[in-house]
Amino acid sequence: MPQASSISVLVVDDQLTMRALIRNALQQIGFKDIREAPDGEEALKNLLAKPANLVISDFNMPKMDGLALLRAVRSHPPIRQTAFVMLTGRADRELVQRAVQFGVNNYCVKPFTVQGLREKIEQVFGPLT
Amino acid sequence: MMQFSQNDDPERAIKVHVTQGESHVTTDPQVVMTTVLGSCIAACIRDPQAGVGGMNHFLLPEGDGRGGGDAVRYGAYAMELLINDLLKRGARRERLEAKIFGGAKLFDGLSDVGASNSAFAERFLRDEGIPIVSSSTGGVSARRVEFWPTSGRVRQRLVAVDNAPQDVRRPAPAPMPAASSGDVDLF
Repeated sequence: MPQASSISVLVVDDQLTMRALIRNALQQIGFKDIREAPDGEEALKNLLAKPANLVISDFNMPKMDGLALLRAVRSHPPIRQTAFVMLTGRADRELVQRAVQFGVNNYCVKPFTVQGLREKIEQVFGPLT
Repeated sequence: MMQFSQNDDPERAIKVHVTQGESHVTTDPQVVMTTVLGSCIAACIRDPQAGVGGMNHFLLPEGDGRGGGDAVRYGAYAMELLINDLLKRGARRERLEAKIFGGAKLFDGLSDVGASNSAFAERFLRDEGIPIVSSSTGGVSARRVEFWPTSGRVRQRLVAVDNAPQDVRRPAPAPMPAASSGDVDLF
């Protein structure tokens, strides 16, 4: 079983509050290596400079949205294997379908609980310790 | 401009009632958004330059409104819905300004949910860099709020506690006369 503390995470959201909430939830789950980016463009630069094991990304963001970031990640060989979890709203069924087409690993509907986020991540990595 | 006199004409206004859990955005200068608040919060956010504005209406679930609890996640999502809709309709984040209402403590002996709701809204907007240009929060009275999203004008009326419909869904109010007593143009 993978250790949460050994998985590096990049949190991507244009709202500082949401980034802080996701970070807080990840810390409760046991993640320690957590970085943040305010939009897809910054996230891509960040990943290319230093790959992460997991990206947790919002969809609606300026410059480059979550779907464009997902496509960019999947088209860059050095980081194309990065696990990618998209955060979506309740009414975003079409977005989820498109994200699946582009290779998203999972999605998490906001507002999420810590346990809900944990389950979504565990569906990708297996049970976390 | 004619636009403003039309807005002030209740016969021509298009009223949109925003109930708990909802969020509405418009660019239509004839729309006036209305809501009734007890301990709930309504955030009225607009981009004056783009002429787009909207209102949400939320109540944090039980929690202290601080830290990373479920209550804050819920509130942050309510704010995000409104802000994302504004951005989709042409608003720019750096031009957004907010007015917040509600957060009253209607009944003695209960925890002050209203205070934690307004504290959350203030902290969220501060953290996101969205200035609060005016607010009316706290107190012991419910509020009936009308918000003209494109002009930013707000009219608030305090509602007696005995008559306060505490954060429950209710039908849209009937059109009000142009100058009913008790109405106050605040902002």
